[in-house]
Amino acid sequence: MGVIDLDALEVRFGTRTILNGLTGSLEGHAIGLLGPNGAGKSTLINTLLGFHQPSSGAARVFGMDAYRDRAAIRGAVGYMPENDSFIGNMSGVHFVRYMAELAGLPPRPALERAHEALFYVGLGEVRYRKISTYSLGMKQLIKLAQALAHGPRLLILDEPTNGLDPIARQRMIQLIKDIRKQGSVRILISSHLLRDIDEVCDEVLILKGGRIAALNNIEAERRSNRSFVELETVGATERFAVSIRGLGCECVTFPDGRIKLVIPDQVEARDLYQVAFEQGVQIRRMNQRRDSLEDIFLRAMESEIARPPLVRL
Amino acid sequence: MSVYEHTYRPYAGPLTSPRSRILVLARYGMAEAWSSKITIALFVLCLLPLLTFLVGIYIANNPLAQMAILKGSKMLAIDASYFLKILTTQSWLALILCSWVAPRLVSFDLSDNALPIVLSHPISRVGYVAGKFLALFSALSVVTWIPALLLFAFECYSSPQPWFFANLRIAFGLLAGSLIWLCFLSLLGLAISAWVKWRVVATGAIFAALFVPAGVGGVVSAVLSTKWGFLFNMPYLIATLWERLLGAENPRMIGAFGPLPTAAILLVLLLTCALFIAMLNARIRAREVVKG
Repeated sequence: MGVIDLDALEVRFGTRTILNGLTGSLEGHAIGLLGPNGAGKSTLINTLLGFHQPSSGAARVFGMDAYRDRAAIRGAVGYMPENDSFIGNMSGVHFVRYMAELAGLPPRPALERAHEALFYVGLGEVRYRKISTYSLGMKQLIKLAQALAHGPRLLILDEPTNGLDPIARQRMIQLIKDIRKQGSVRILISSHLLRDIDEVCDEVLILKGGRIAALNNIEAERRSNRSFVELETVGATERFAVSIRGLGCECVTFPDGRIKLVIPDQVEARDLYQVAFEQGVQIRRMNQRRDSLEDIFLRAMESEIARPPLVRL
Repeated sequence: MSVYEHTYRPYAGPLTSPRSRILVLARYGMAEAWSSKITIALFVLCLLPLLTFLVGIYIANNPLAQMAILKGSKMLAIDASYFLKILTTQSWLALILCSWVAPRLVSFDLSDNALPIVLSHPISRVGYVAGKFLALFSALSVVTWIPALLLFAFECYSSPQPWFFANLRIAFGLLAGSLIWLCFLSLLGLAISAWVKWRVVATGAIFAALFVPAGVGGVVSAVLSTKWGFLFNMPYLIATLWERLLGAENPRMIGAFGPLPTAAILLVLLLTCALFIAMLNARIRAREVVKG
C-alpha cells in the first residue's frame, strides 16, 4: 500500500474531464506533483482531500478511499493551500490553535502545539499579531504552521514557495527538508517550479492534460543515469582525451578545445584535474550535470510541445 | 515540535470526538462575535426592556405597588397579551443583534478565503454551518426565550393565584414562537452573510431581505385585493403565528378576506428556510467548481 494510490481515477466537472484515468502508486517520503497550468494538480489535491467526488475510479490515501473516508483522511492530513487562506482578524497563535482544535486536538494541547508550530516555522516573535498585518512570506509560513500543528501523517503543500523572495523561498525549502528528514510525515508538494521539487522530493508525478505523463522515482533515476561533463580546455586536448578514455570515460572532442564526456561512477572530477595536470592541459571550465528533473520533465512534456503552424504573409 | 529545540515531533495525544468539532466552531464563533464592543452594547440594549417587563410583573402582583403606582386601576394584567408583548419586543431586538453578529461569524472566513483551510480539517460543510448556526442561535436565545421563560417563572412565583397550570400554553407559545423565529433568523443571517462579503452591507441586507418582500407583498395584496400577498410579509406572518401560539386575543384580520391559515404560514416559513439552506449550500464550499 502506497501513501497515495490512484486507480483509474477520473474527475469530471460537467462535460469537462479534468483528471483522466490516473493510475499509479506514490510511495515516496516526499512526492512532487508537477505539471503545466491546467494539468490537474490542484484538482488531484482537492480530490485527495475529498472536495471532489471521482466520476469513476478511486483515489486512496493511506489505503482509505478519498471520498468515502474523507473525514478520516482530513484528520491525518495537513493541507497548505496555494492561495491566501486564513482569518485575518485573528492573531497567529489563535488561528493555529483554532485549526488544531478543528483537527481534533483538545484545547490545551492545541494551544501548546500552536505555539510550538509557530516557533518551528519561525513566526514565534509575531504570533500575537493579527494575521492581516503579516507579510506575504509570513502568511505562507502561518499556512504551513496550521498544517503542521496537529501532527499530520501527510502534509499536502500546494505551491508552498509561491510569491516568496529568494531568502524566504530557501527558508521554506529548508523547513520542508527538515520535516522530511524527521521521517514521520510524508509530503506531497505541488509546484510548477522544478527546482523546488528537485531539492526536496524523491518521487515525482508529472501531469499533463489530466493524464499521468511520468511517474518517476527521482533518486533511482539519478542513480541510474550517468553524469555528463562538458570541459573547456587549453593545450593538448587530443592527448588529454586519450588519457581520460583510459579512466573509462566516453568522450568527444571539438576543435575549440571543448570536450564532452560521460564519466562513470568511480571517476571523480579531481581525477580529471589530475590527468590534466599530468598532461599540461588547462581546464578553464567544467560544467557537470546529472540527468536532472528538468530532463525528466521535458521528456514528459515532449509530446505536448506542438510546432506552431506556419504563417504565410 | 519543540519551542526550545525547534524540531518537529508528531502528536500522539488524545483526540476529541468528531461531533464535538461543531462546538469548536461555535465556541470560536461566539468568541469572535463577543470580541466587539458593539455586540456587548447591543446585548445590553436587548436586555433593557426585560427590566421594564420585570417591574411590570412585580407591580401587577404587589398590592401595595399597585395602589401606589396604578392607583388601584386594573390596567396592568399579566396574561397572554403581556407575554406576547415581551416576545415581540425581544424578537425584534434579536433581529438587530442578529444583523450585527451573523456577518461577523461568516464574513471574516469568506473575505479572507479561510474556507479551504477550515474545510480541509475533519469538519463537513454541514458541520461548519451547524457550528455557526449554534453560535448565532445561542447568542439570540440569551435575549429571547431564556429571559421570557424566566419572566414567566417569576410570574408563576409572584402570582397569588395558582397561575402556572392555567397558563402553561403561554410558556409553550413563548418557547415554540421563539425557536421558530430564531431558526429563521439564524438561517437568514448566515445565508445573507455567506453571500455578502462586506459586513456593513450584510447587516443592511438582512433587514432588506425581511422588509423589502413585505413591501412587495403589501403592493400585491392591494393591487389584486387578496390576502395571499401577505405571505411575503414575514413580520406579519411571524406576528400572527406568535398570537396563535400564545392564544392571545384579536387574531389579525386582513380586510374582508379573513386571516391567513396557520398551515400556509408554516409552509412559507419552511420554504424560506429551505431557500436559505440552498443559499448556504451554494456558497459554503472549499472550492468553487466551474462546470462546463
